[in-house]
Amino acid sequence: MKLYEHESKKVFEIHGIPIPKQYGVVHSVNEVETLDLKFPVMAKAAVLIGGRGKAGGIKKANSLKEAKDITAKLLKLRIKEYPVETVFFEEALEERGACYVGVTTDPKTFNNMLVVSASGGVEIEEVSRMRPEAIMRWEIVNNDRVLQNSIIEEVVSLISQEIQFSSKQKEVFSSIIDNVYRTYQDIDAKLCEINPVLITPETVIAVDAKIVLDDNGLYRQSKLLDSLGITSRRHDIAEPTPNEKKAINHGFPYVDLLPLITSKEKDTLYVGLVPGGAGYGIFSIDEVVNIGNEFFEEKIVPINFMDSGGGPPQNQVAQMFHILMDYPLTDIIITSRFGGISSCDIFIRGLIQALRERYRNNQHIVPVYGRMVGTDLPSAKNYLEKAKKETPEALQSMHIEVGNEKIMADIIKEGIKRGLEIKKEVSA
Amino acid sequence: MKRTPVDQGALFFLIKKIRPELAAHIEKAKMIETIIIGLGSQGTKHAGLMKEFGTNITAGVSVGRGGTRIHEVIPVYERVKDCLKEHPNIAVASIWRHYSGVRDIVIDVIESGIPIVVLITEGIPLKDVRDIIVAARKHNTILFGGNTPGIIFPPEGIKIGMLPDIFYPEEKTEDEFGPRGVTIISRSGAILYHLSDALASVGVAQNAVLGIGGDGAIGTRFIDIVPLIQQYQNTDLIVIAGEIGGIQEEYLAEDIAAHPEKYQIPMVALISGANAPPGKTMGHAGAIITPGQEYGTFKTKKEALEKAGVTVVNSQYELVKTVQEILEGWKYFSIKRYQEKMTKTWEEPPKKAEWATLITKVQPNNLIIAGYPLKEIIKKKTFTETAYLLIKGEFPQTGEIKELEKIALKAIEFSVPEVKVHENEDISKTIAKLLLLDEALANYCIQENKNPTSQLMFCLGRVARYLSSILENDEVLVHIDNNQPFSHAIYQIFTGEKSIDDKKAKLLESMIVASVDHGVTPPSAQATIIAATVRAAYEVAVAQGVSAITDVHGGAGAKAAEFFKKCATLARNKNIDLAEATHENISIYMKEGKRIQGLGHRFHTKDPRRDVLWIKAKHAGVAGECVQISKIITDVFNRVRGITLPINVDGVIGAIVADLGLNPIIAKAVFIYGRIAGLSAHYFEEIASQPQMRRINFSEAVYKGKKVRKLK
Repeated sequence: MKLYEHESKKVFEIHGIPIPKQYGVVHSVNEVETLDLKFPVMAKAAVLIGGRGKAGGIKKANSLKEAKDITAKLLKLRIKEYPVETVFFEEALEERGACYVGVTTDPKTFNNMLVVSASGGVEIEEVSRMRPEAIMRWEIVNNDRVLQNSIIEEVVSLISQEIQFSSKQKEVFSSIIDNVYRTYQDIDAKLCEINPVLITPETVIAVDAKIVLDDNGLYRQSKLLDSLGITSRRHDIAEPTPNEKKAINHGFPYVDLLPLITSKEKDTLYVGLVPGGAGYGIFSIDEVVNIGNEFFEEKIVPINFMDSGGGPPQNQVAQMFHILMDYPLTDIIITSRFGGISSCDIFIRGLIQALRERYRNNQHIVPVYGRMVGTDLPSAKNYLEKAKKETPEALQSMHIEVGNEKIMADIIKEGIKRGLEIKKEVSA
Repeated sequence: MKRTPVDQGALFFLIKKIRPELAAHIEKAKMIETIIIGLGSQGTKHAGLMKEFGTNITAGVSVGRGGTRIHEVIPVYERVKDCLKEHPNIAVASIWRHYSGVRDIVIDVIESGIPIVVLITEGIPLKDVRDIIVAARKHNTILFGGNTPGIIFPPEGIKIGMLPDIFYPEEKTEDEFGPRGVTIISRSGAILYHLSDALASVGVAQNAVLGIGGDGAIGTRFIDIVPLIQQYQNTDLIVIAGEIGGIQEEYLAEDIAAHPEKYQIPMVALISGANAPPGKTMGHAGAIITPGQEYGTFKTKKEALEKAGVTVVNSQYELVKTVQEILEGWKYFSIKRYQEKMTKTWEEPPKKAEWATLITKVQPNNLIIAGYPLKEIIKKKTFTETAYLLIKGEFPQTGEIKELEKIALKAIEFSVPEVKVHENEDISKTIAKLLLLDEALANYCIQENKNPTSQLMFCLGRVARYLSSILENDEVLVHIDNNQPFSHAIYQIFTGEKSIDDKKAKLLESMIVASVDHGVTPPSAQATIIAATVRAAYEVAVAQGVSAITDVHGGAGAKAAEFFKKCATLARNKNIDLAEATHENISIYMKEGKRIQGLGHRFHTKDPRRDVLWIKAKHAGVAGECVQISKIITDVFNRVRGITLPINVDGVIGAIVADLGLNPIIAKAVFIYGRIAGLSAHYFEEIASQPQMRRINFSEAVYKGKKVRKLK
């Protein structure tokens, strides 16, 4: 879970890292007056996505009027599609140089990695690409809880070769390195980053801050979250979409793949997925795209990711289908139940429940193509056959193959073919 | 189908790579021992499924549950080191504990030297994972996971984890599996089903499927495990199933490019996530594309792997095509047989629910306790030895008997709780009341709560003391000394005689032994077991069982004794033979609508305890008129009613008690006294081997104890 910059700074400050004076946070222009601003100030858009500076999300204001104008502009800004909803103000500082300090888990070795560069203030990925030699890395092998002094000394002496530190600056810089690492370990972070560590005439100070918390560690960081006023887990970057919110409420992972406002193209088949576990959830998206490209003239577009594995109860299965059938974009649904941990019986009951509910309530029914094999197949098969006899009308758009004589790719291909035919019939 | 020997399989190969000494042991023992850690509902359930699949589950480990069992026979230890003390050759551990409490135990397991660790737990904090990885690297452990669905080896029939039984091995011949095939190494679980499905649809076998885990940081990475499998002689192709996020696929590609000599076996990589939008987590913590990073996307992974010469596919069709090309269309098995097997597996009706007891096997006309026929036990063993057998499944060593009996004899010394006994109160009610109020017993059980046999012996001493009071035989107590056999004390208390007639004492003891147990279904046993599922105290649970022994169940002996005596008296008074007197009395009872007690049985037409007691009575010189009546009553009854009701153990005991000239109530006391041993055994078994507050269907119980054996 990502923290906003102002939240990250608060965390760093608690851990003894100097930050610029914070004036506060606003959500509207009117609130700017309530802050006790001492100009010049920096106005910053609070967003979780990177590239804020380039998008014009950081501005200096020299007067209240300017601060208000900037706030109005920032609150209208969209940074990589994500709207700015919060702006915060902090003291503007004089810059003499900038470093980068970051701690993360090395994705190769899973050891902790301290990354330091004398070229801070710009995107570190950019520096890494253009001048890899400007970035220094230390791998901390034993998941040490604090940095060894020898490492800190080495870092400072190497950086000192490029930046002339006063003795006070050197001291503060050492403590920042020490404390960033401590913070990273203390708060179960995945990433703690200060870019830049600004060098001012007197000292060094953390002017931008980025913290990504490890979601798995959140349960034991309630004190930290409380101090930041965070009550529930934050979504990755943007707010969840309405479909995603419904799925969160029903307790299963779901991601919309298309922007919220997508106008439905006539020659495109929109495919919803109730696929099974997360791994196949990702893979089935690829399958739909690949099969579409290879076998069909029309555009075939998967519309969602879903993790329907791990043995969901019947009602949750029904909700998985409801969400997609309520979604106007969905043309067909492809589904797979490979009963390992999950039960085919519960799956088919959930699907039939959803279809019967929709039929009864005159709700739109989307054709479903799928396959089920594995755990509890005999009882699932019996239930399916009985249900078809009992409510044939409600279930006429449901096409579930039993057994694995056809692999899922075949089922997807056939489903798409039928889906396109139906679409043509309807439009004709 | 015959399975591939374990020492030819991939799991053995991995163990041998890192622990050659343990591998040498496995080669001899022909088995790979595994343990389960974390016995919540998932861990326990899958322990059963793994065992069913063929995995050798040696033990479980769960703090607070040491000394108990899961699936009735798998012992549970408190700590990993306790387990290794008993079972030093554990090669694999699977860990199922919740993420919040798993770090320390995983490190414990790793430090114990177990070479293969399968960490099922999902969602472990990254910081803890790093500690775990540090330990695994230090101890050269192959750690699968966290968040792995497990590992499975179809040719040998070993699985560790929760993968379903869908992966199919090579068929060497029509009735023997072979070790060759494709090895799949995957980050995700669900995708494995579809990989296997696609491969199997064209006859490609899997010799090992290794889930390395879907979390962001995992123990064994592609770069650690792929080079190892590259050295396994039975793998023809490696399928690497990766997904977006992280850098492990790229890292592997780097190594392949730098050291192609390490990668001689062909490889195909199936990478998922070509069409995933950036910045969104897709179920797996690892499967996130971080905007702006130059690794972790489908493109970076595909390019890196292709540059290293590995074909990358992104669909089932491509996978099947590529694999077939590399293997030149080789088929490892008959697709038809595979399909049949799958259909059969899936269409199999769900298994009948069952649970196991190791104590008593009940068959028509036969009762077997821990493998020994009860009639043999009655003939040859003392009550103390039988009580011990019920609890432990084996007889005690000769030296132990004396110590056990001392506990019982000591228990006789404490006074009887004061209770009011109503006139005509059922003796079982009186005993139950006393059990519930007995401070001495309750205190002893708290102190000795880990030692069931001591608790039982103490309880038997206490109940003996209650009986001396109930039967008004307290004056014999001063003649009981701590060094005599316990059976003598029982004789003194039951009969009120100070001096001991050894033959009679043995006969009395035989009747008690004959009453010890009848499996889990008698109402008294059910009552005790139900109390045990809610973890009632020992003496409380025994009291529950004893109170269920009424005239309807277990109380027939007293009534039968009275009836036999009545018949004998009538024969003497009227000077008619016993059969005639019995006939007359049965007719009177019938007219009055009264039941004849001691006849008929739910299971037995010829009660297995009958003949041995008759013979013992004869040898003791006790068999008189009543025993004689007990032998003829079935025939006489048939003549009156036209129905054959065989004499049961209660009837025989009643007859002997009557011929001993004892109070008929002693027949019931004998039954209760003996049955306390059986009730106790069921109590301790329930506590040790079943989850608390389970739903019990007593007709689902199956005997899984020792096989039938001869009593020397």
